[in-house]
Amino acid sequence: MAVIRSSDLDFDAIKENLKTYFQAQSEFADYNFEGSGLSNILDVLAYNTHINGLIANMGINESFLSSAQLRSSVVSHAETLGYEITSQSAATATVTLTVSTSDTTTTQISLPKYTTFTTTVDDITYTFMTLEAYIATNDGTGTFQFKTSEGLTAIPISQGTLKTKTFIVGDTADEQIYVIPDTTTDTKTLAVSVFDTTTSSSFTTYTDVQNVVRITPQSTVFIIREAPNGFYDLIFSSNNVLGQSPQAGNKIVVQYLSSVGALANSASVFTPDNQISFNSQTYDITVATVTNSSGGSEKESIESIKANAPLAFATQQRLVTAEDYKALILQRYSNVLSDVTAWSGSDNVPPIYGRTYVSLKFKDGISSTVQQATKDSIQTILSENLAVMSIDTVFTDPITSFLEISVSFDFDPDQTGSTAQTTQDLVKTTAVNFVTNNLNKFDSVFRKSLLLTEIDGLSTAILNSSMDVKLQQRLIPTLNTVKDYTINFPVTIASPDDVNYRVESGRFTFSGSTSIFRNKLGTNKLEVVNIITGDVLVDNAGSYNASTGVVSLSGFNLTAFEGESVKVSIVPANENTIKPLRSYILSVDETLTSARATIDYQNTATTL
Amino acid sequence: MAKAFSIEDGNLTTVPLTSSITQTYKDIDLTFAKKGSGDVFKKSDAAAVRQSVKNILMTNQSEKPFQPYFGGSLNNFLFELSEEFSEIDIKETVAQAIQNYEPRARVKKVNVDLNPDYNSMKVTVEFTVVTTFETVTLEVDLVRLR
Repeated sequence: MAVIRSSDLDFDAIKENLKTYFQAQSEFADYNFEGSGLSNILDVLAYNTHINGLIANMGINESFLSSAQLRSSVVSHAETLGYEITSQSAATATVTLTVSTSDTTTTQISLPKYTTFTTTVDDITYTFMTLEAYIATNDGTGTFQFKTSEGLTAIPISQGTLKTKTFIVGDTADEQIYVIPDTTTDTKTLAVSVFDTTTSSSFTTYTDVQNVVRITPQSTVFIIREAPNGFYDLIFSSNNVLGQSPQAGNKIVVQYLSSVGALANSASVFTPDNQISFNSQTYDITVATVTNSSGGSEKESIESIKANAPLAFATQQRLVTAEDYKALILQRYSNVLSDVTAWSGSDNVPPIYGRTYVSLKFKDGISSTVQQATKDSIQTILSENLAVMSIDTVFTDPITSFLEISVSFDFDPDQTGSTAQTTQDLVKTTAVNFVTNNLNKFDSVFRKSLLLTEIDGLSTAILNSSMDVKLQQRLIPTLNTVKDYTINFPVTIASPDDVNYRVESGRFTFSGSTSIFRNKLGTNKLEVVNIITGDVLVDNAGSYNASTGVVSLSGFNLTAFEGESVKVSIVPANENTIKPLRSYILSVDETLTSARATIDYQNTATTL
Repeated sequence: MAKAFSIEDGNLTTVPLTSSITQTYKDIDLTFAKKGSGDVFKKSDAAAVRQSVKNILMTNQSEKPFQPYFGGSLNNFLFELSEEFSEIDIKETVAQAIQNYEPRARVKKVNVDLNPDYNSMKVTVEFTVVTTFETVTLEVDLVRLR
């Protein structure tokens, strides 16, 4: 008897198997003719087998995250891994909001939550709004500038339509799930308030469980998750297991933004929809854009979920590696931080085990009070709850190293309408912008060739270019006091040379003379030199260690210095690549950055 | 003259080289009528071919799984507007379907009698059973009930 292979899924293969079976018996002979009754019966049998096989195959495929095709399956798998799937996200811009009045008596005004602004992107009008209430204080002249609770003047506004859903809590034994039937919900903007009764005005605010580190019986948290049909389910604790549960008769009010995602990115001009009123007067709100709208995006794609969910599961929301510290701190404190870096105590110089060093770069304008509060918050909320028990978190302030960039380039005036001076200015601006835009944060590496490529591409009149790069640290010495100083550079310093100085300082007053210190040519010893006469005032003022990048001054006593600090510049051993270590950030010293053009008419017929 | 074959080719010395097999067509009766013994009736020879041809004519194209071109589509014609096709179209479709899917029948004549006023058609197919040269006539009367 012919064997019927059960592993075939293809309809034709299945039918062929059945035909093979019929070949072995003589009762019916017409199975080969497509119009025969027997062929029709074989069709039904084969189709049935085919469909069953297909369903079994699909079912098994959907059972694994890596092979699932349906979004609902992928979402479900990600949920079991504890992965938070990103919903459609509203584009967010930051603006300054000012109200100019002649009122000098009112001390404080407030801007209500959900104040709306209008903007246009690609001829389509979008509405942006504030998601919090903001306070402005009178500066004494009648001008009010709104600020965030952290004291920042940059107010975030997000695109979307404000939607409200109201639910009445039924019998809690039913374990209700509250459905938000909106696939464009930005779940980050959800504001959930639970009122005692349908008429009550007092309410309790519930927080997304993803933003909570510790849950107590008194916690008021909700869980938001994507449903199989793309809507969102709002879930509360059942029987007070996960914090407090809303009680029967409570009213739940959910407010959120329904956004258009990436379409509203890059909006730049915002107009307030309403004026602001106080003391029976109405005033215009003046809006100035700080950053254009960005961050708007569609729902996280299936492929992205498949890639990220297992990785998120691997971290377990714990602070274990340096990358965990960076990611979690930046995720939770991005409102005040522009960058974070972290390194293990074993990587520190000198190594101190049992510590994790964290360096925070705060946004401009963050007060020292808020900075300290942020550090305390990281310590108490993150480190104490999520870090490995025996590891302490130690904060280190970022250290800025300044690049001094000197560009020389050949310039052919015949190739352009611009003058050499204009092109020099353009090259200098390009160098400054290159550092500002690409560096100025932790772990950013300066690569000379990238900047040279950018400079060469500025104009056809720039024929070639070269560059000298120095690195500068700033020393604020104690005046009129004999003291030793150590200046650490994050790179190795070039070895002593008989022609060029490797270490040079800015000007200061030493023993009544305007002086600088620099290394003696051919040695790593430092000398103090009168800048006017050239006389050496101190023969041995210290030394520098090229391999460790340390400049040491001994018995140094200044009476004055130019500017806010003494600038100490070194020539790096490798000018092509400057990698700042640990908490160092590369910036640029604009005053010591220059560009110099050499006129070159490309005339090859002239003599040498 | 006797032909010799190698062992590798089957050592056919004991097996006759040619044989005449009488093809008998045996099919299940699609009415599924029950015999006295409880078994279903069978159709054989010309009756089996006739049932097959009728089955082909009454099947609409795209109806049979994974064989979208199978069928004479008479039902489809019945439910189309009468201005959109002619008797010739039906004749060609029917003849082509039998030629493609019923190798046991050789079509001699197809006659189509359309009666659009009564939403009906009568298709008569005359064909020869290939093995027996028996001529069979199949008449299909179709009337729209709704």
